Amino acid sequence: MSETADWGHATDLDDIRAQVAIAGIGETAYTKASGRTAREIGAEAAERAIADAGLTPSDIDGITWSGAFADFDVDAFREHFGTSHEMWTSPWGGGMAWAATAPYLAARAIREGEARHVLNVFPVAWATQRASMTGGPGEVHAAQSLKQNLEVPFGWFPQPVYFASIMRRHMIEFGTLPSQFGAIAVACRRHANLHPDAVMHGRPMTLDDYLAAPYLAEPLRLLDSCLISDGGAAYVTTSVERARDLPHAPAVVRGVGEGYSASGTHWALQRAFTTTPQVFSAPRAFAMAGLSPADVDVLTVYDPFTVVSMMQIEDMGFCPKGEAGRFVEGDTLFHDSGKLPFNTHGGLLSHAYVLGIAHVVECVKQLRGVAAAQVPNCEVAVYGGYTGHMASTLVLTKDR
Amino acid sequence: MAIKRDDFPLPDVDDPLTTPFFAGAARGELLIPRCETCGEYVWYPQEACPRDGGGLTWSAVSGRGTLFTWAVVRRAFLPAFADRVPFVTALVALDEDPAVRLCTYVVDTAPEQLVADAPVAVCFRPLEFTTVPGRSVIVPMFTLT
Ligand SMILES: [Zn+2]
Repeated sequence: MSETADWGHATDLDDIRAQVAIAGIGETAYTKASGRTAREIGAEAAERAIADAGLTPSDIDGITWSGAFADFDVDAFREHFGTSHEMWTSPWGGGMAWAATAPYLAARAIREGEARHVLNVFPVAWATQRASMTGGPGEVHAAQSLKQNLEVPFGWFPQPVYFASIMRRHMIEFGTLPSQFGAIAVACRRHANLHPDAVMHGRPMTLDDYLAAPYLAEPLRLLDSCLISDGGAAYVTTSVERARDLPHAPAVVRGVGEGYSASGTHWALQRAFTTTPQVFSAPRAFAMAGLSPADVDVLTVYDPFTVVSMMQIEDMGFCPKGEAGRFVEGDTLFHDSGKLPFNTHGGLLSHAYVLGIAHVVECVKQLRGVAAAQVPNCEVAVYGGYTGHMASTLVLTKDR
Repeated sequence: MAIKRDDFPLPDVDDPLTTPFFAGAARGELLIPRCETCGEYVWYPQEACPRDGGGLTWSAVSGRGTLFTWAVVRRAFLPAFADRVPFVTALVALDEDPAVRLCTYVVDTAPEQLVADAPVAVCFRPLEFTTVPGRSVIVPMFTLT
């Protein structure tokens, strides 16, 4: 499958290279069930991002959030901060794939003079909600009637089953081995153990531990799977010029990409079953940035299951299609000795399941040189977002 | 919670989008919507052909296909599956159009006997859950051929 394949397409985006930068980041604690609401978590992440940017809430004149999980939207912002000023808004931000494209929306708003400082925020309280048997990813999926009638009755549900099926097909087509999926999980856990704020900090894991873990749905093991967490993060995007006046070194947005599958939103029906729309998104983002995968110092990708990392590493061009299994073996993904430092905060597997927003924050920290598992001389940091039929790519660099 | 049916996770045979699928299975026929204009199969069912807007007719297919992929489910993700695990849930690609993949059970074969892209054939069996006593729905399942 190549970018010219007819199973999907890239979105045509304006060239926003080096127009905006992420100037502030904020994170809450990442935990198991906290008893907090997502709205409270979102407010705390927003407070911290605004403070990190050296700004006040009244300086924030644009906000993006996830319309699908609108726990901290513009109304929540106004209520929490007691503000009433006009704000540019979009519900097409937040986490997942939109954690990569929110800075693009911000860049357009800033260019049009509609905003100067745009906050993107994404909180989640799925650990708390799961404890009370409401919410969480499974419920979102079970509520769709076609899934209720054509998937769930046949046991093809929920996400671990979808991705076990994708994983098996990847093994069938490319000969990918269980230990190669395990290499991804081990690298993420290694990084989480260097990161005091990671949920799995202090819980070391070896490849043998991975291989001994129980299956949820064979060939997918428990340790191929993301956590369920409470937590949130936010970041502030502004013009590069403005960012240079703020306290932290700007993380410059150099490229953005977005790609879609034409096969709809059901995993069972993805024509390119073992390929993600990163094959459409990543080349566009790298082209906008004037960079290539070989230039990347740290990669974070949305990683609900190890196979999603495996596929995106291939589809973003870090190795040929089908060869990620061999590529990720050993220390390839390690922050210090690896040739592709990967999910250096621990990812959704071992840091926290906050749906990608912490991946972008990690990229910014790496460029600032303050990450817990810091990659030496990190100049180019990339986030790959994924939501099944959609993928997105964000290329961030040091200001230069 | 959007699921209020007391027969969940049995399929809702009264959902108009999929009623013919289950009515066909009850008669021993595997039916897939097909476009009256371009002749292509359209799966999952929808209101009209996404290519040309043509009307769709539920058409009988051979029931032959290949085992595209499968998972051996070992954890019961819903209470209804607690007494079924481990079980094999699969995607079967139909011979008429391999882009038509059915989520289904592969039955009468031990999981370790399954082989990628193996030929399979449909059979029609009652689907029952002990959590939904006294109810069953005939659905297409598959066996190795
Ligand atoms: Zn048609």
